[in-house]
Amino acid sequence: MLELGSLIESNDGWRLPAGEAGGNGGDGDATHYDVAVIGGGPAGLSAALYTARAGLRTIVLDKSPYAGALGLTDKIENYPGVPGPVRGVDLLKTMRDQALSFGAVYIQETVLSADGRTTPKEIITASRTIRAERLIVATGSLGRVASLPGEERLLGRGVSYCATCDGAFFTGQPVAVVGENEEAVEEALFLTRFARKVHFIVKGHTVRASAELTAELREHPRVTWHERTRVKEILGDTRVEGIRILPSGGSEEILPVKGVFVYLQGNRPILDFFQGDVPELTPEGYVKVNEEMETSFPGVFAVGDLTGKRVRQAVLAAADGVLAALAVERQLRGREKIRAAW
Amino acid sequence: MPLLSAKDREYVRDFFNKELQGKVELVLFLPAKAEEARASRENPYLPQMLELMQELTGLSPKLALRVVRPDTDPEVFALYGVPLGAYPVLALLGEGGVDYGIRFYGIPAGYEFRTLMDDLVDVSRGHSRLKPETIRQLADLKTDLDFQVFVTPTCPYCPKAVRLAHQFALESPHIRADMIEATEFSELANQFNVYGVPKTVINQGAQEIEGAVPEEMFLEAALAAAAETG
Repeated sequence: MLELGSLIESNDGWRLPAGEAGGNGGDGDATHYDVAVIGGGPAGLSAALYTARAGLRTIVLDKSPYAGALGLTDKIENYPGVPGPVRGVDLLKTMRDQALSFGAVYIQETVLSADGRTTPKEIITASRTIRAERLIVATGSLGRVASLPGEERLLGRGVSYCATCDGAFFTGQPVAVVGENEEAVEEALFLTRFARKVHFIVKGHTVRASAELTAELREHPRVTWHERTRVKEILGDTRVEGIRILPSGGSEEILPVKGVFVYLQGNRPILDFFQGDVPELTPEGYVKVNEEMETSFPGVFAVGDLTGKRVRQAVLAAADGVLAALAVERQLRGREKIRAAW
Repeated sequence: MPLLSAKDREYVRDFFNKELQGKVELVLFLPAKAEEARASRENPYLPQMLELMQELTGLSPKLALRVVRPDTDPEVFALYGVPLGAYPVLALLGEGGVDYGIRFYGIPAGYEFRTLMDDLVDVSRGHSRLKPETIRQLADLKTDLDFQVFVTPTCPYCPKAVRLAHQFALESPHIRADMIEATEFSELANQFNVYGVPKTVINQGAQEIEGAVPEEMFLEAALAAAAETG
């Protein structure tokens, strides 16, 4: 049974676009910004730091502080000015705090769709619609295509990437969640409302999510935690009938599940929120940008790993963000060209 | 207690005031009065559907609500192709009672509430805001197409698929497009093996689309279904 009542009674009511449903701490109109940044890694946060400091109303939309390439790095010793070793998430927190100190608004939400062709740009998350004069995309390149045996064939037949969408179809059934990030943990917890049993399958021995959330999942009576376990195949003919797994040092086994929810990372640029209408790409599939990091969509900038750098370092991503921020400032303030900024 | 908060009501009122042009009639298909108590036990959203439509149509003088029931208005069910046992179903009619073939099977709640708001604007204006090329190709369509878009109210990706189907219906007299709330119409969902949403079924399975896809892909599937159906 869907919990429609909770939707009706929730503060955001009938899921109207944002702002209509409540402010988010920004000044003035909480739905309209000068700059929206998608992605809270070094590229996105550096851009936000600069645009916010320049007095542009700036919002950062970040899926999770643990989601990106830097967020999953344990030890950084070579970020200039920051004596290490420091954890990626801690370095990100410093960058985030710095951007916030200049007035940037930070919201932890996944962007579902963004329209790059219109101005203002319209960006939709699960609970709000944001309009921004300029869009800086900094979503990184940890996206993936279906790669588990059986995954693509059984998509929509028990394989899903959205527990909130599809959880209701697995009421009273056993399901598996495959992943090791915060999204996987949150979605697995959501599934415990419907599923009889949730098998959580993680390749390592831990997940990149807050300790509280992880503990809540591990201790849930309907959750079985499988760590150091690889997924070999999703099984089923016309619909999912099971998942074949291999625990480290153990032997293969088949879990008889009806649904498999996949939250893994890969090495492709994350552009799914453009919903098929993406800016021009390079032959390698990364986003093509000019020297100011602007894409083929006017007013849409791409920074960091999305641009397919040969060398992927946080400091280079941060520098991209700064270039884009200065170009945005110039465009919005009507300057002819970037002046030397100190 | 109203379903819409005071703040949301004001937003919707203002939105309708700015965006609606012509009049729109919302025809709501409900069970017979004598059946209502039993039907409401089976589908707890039934009373909320009526209440929501009453609240919504109260927010603009351009919107009118007509409630029809199988015992008193069987001819209306037949006219709009709604099975007598199906409820709640909503049809949107444009100025002068024009039926564009836009239907909601089940409550347009959660994320689908926004779909309904945008549909109302399109119907009131009589055009869809699709790309010109899509509109041109739909105008050439000669085959009847029936779109069924399965959704859940908690699916943030679903409105895109429903909107496209409804926009297609608005642009072509040969297209009918039903949003189907899968938990309320679980038999239909089972019939078409729906385990993930949005799932769009064209002409009873001539083509199926898993997920929310761009306008061009939606059109391709429609044209392929038309070619298959002949």
